[in-house]
Amino acid sequence: MTHSGGCQCGKVRYRIEGGFGNASICHCRMCQKAFGSWGAPLVGVIAANLAWTRGQPAEFRSSVTVARGFCAACGTPLYMRDDGDPNYDLAIGTLDDPEAVGALTQQVGIESKLSWFDAMPGLPALRTTDYCSPADMERYTSLQHPDHDTEHWP
Amino acid sequence: MTRKTGGCQCGRVRYEITGSFENPHICHCRMCQKAFGNYFAALVGAKKAEFKWTKGEPGVFRSSAVVERRFCRDCGTPLSFAYGHSDRIAVSIGSLDDPYSVTPAHQFGTESKLPAFALLHVLPGSRTEDDVPPEHLAKLKSLQHPDRE
Repeated sequence: MTHSGGCQCGKVRYRIEGGFGNASICHCRMCQKAFGSWGAPLVGVIAANLAWTRGQPAEFRSSVTVARGFCAACGTPLYMRDDGDPNYDLAIGTLDDPEAVGALTQQVGIESKLSWFDAMPGLPALRTTDYCSPADMERYTSLQHPDHDTEHWP
Repeated sequence: MTRKTGGCQCGRVRYEITGSFENPHICHCRMCQKAFGNYFAALVGAKKAEFKWTKGEPGVFRSSAVVERRFCRDCGTPLSFAYGHSDRIAVSIGSLDDPYSVTPAHQFGTESKLPAFALLHVLPGSRTEDDVPPEHLAKLKSLQHPDRE
């Protein structure tokens, strides 16, 4: 089984041979800040099974023993990894098919969970075409790397 | 108006908002998913005139012809989203020093909503100290910028 993914701009791409380990979400304040969000969805991938097929991630050491990989050209958070861990905890949203990780198992770091997290599925929902006109949609031409490998990009 | 501050994980880029928050929301669109490496983005708006980068210079990626996404070039934290022609900017809620102060009111881009989203909040939950032994926690000494100036 092969999976691919990468950052938003496409400067960093990866390929995974084999399956996924545990998939979970983390609410800790470190993941919130690193991802600029409510927290992080992460899936275990054996490092030896992951190849960087285009470019290389940059790393920031968010704690003494933890590195976080990201694209230096567009910022996309790509992974976190404890020193000595044979696995990457890969950012699920960077996969070309985020659903491929299968069922998530747990939420961790809930001492930092944001108060509104549980209520999100009930928020009033709008599709992009509900608030963007066809003319808007035309102007918003995506410059994001497509959700598959490319020979040349951009 | 209360001043709100925020910034990236490493602290090289900091910002402030001197006016009110507007339109707190989450966005499921595939562009936000990929930019944030996540299931969706959580964003809150402000007037550009009441927003300022107070430290450092963020990087910018134009994810579409009219959209600028800013991030820290040193640690990657996604920081802001703005249409070039708009007088508003949206900051990532997780980059605020007090992300608990904002509650999203809408979800946008639901055509790209991932099936996993509906179940995230009902997954069994645990606290960090329940999962990580104290001796390992001690080694995880944070190098993250504190949630203040």
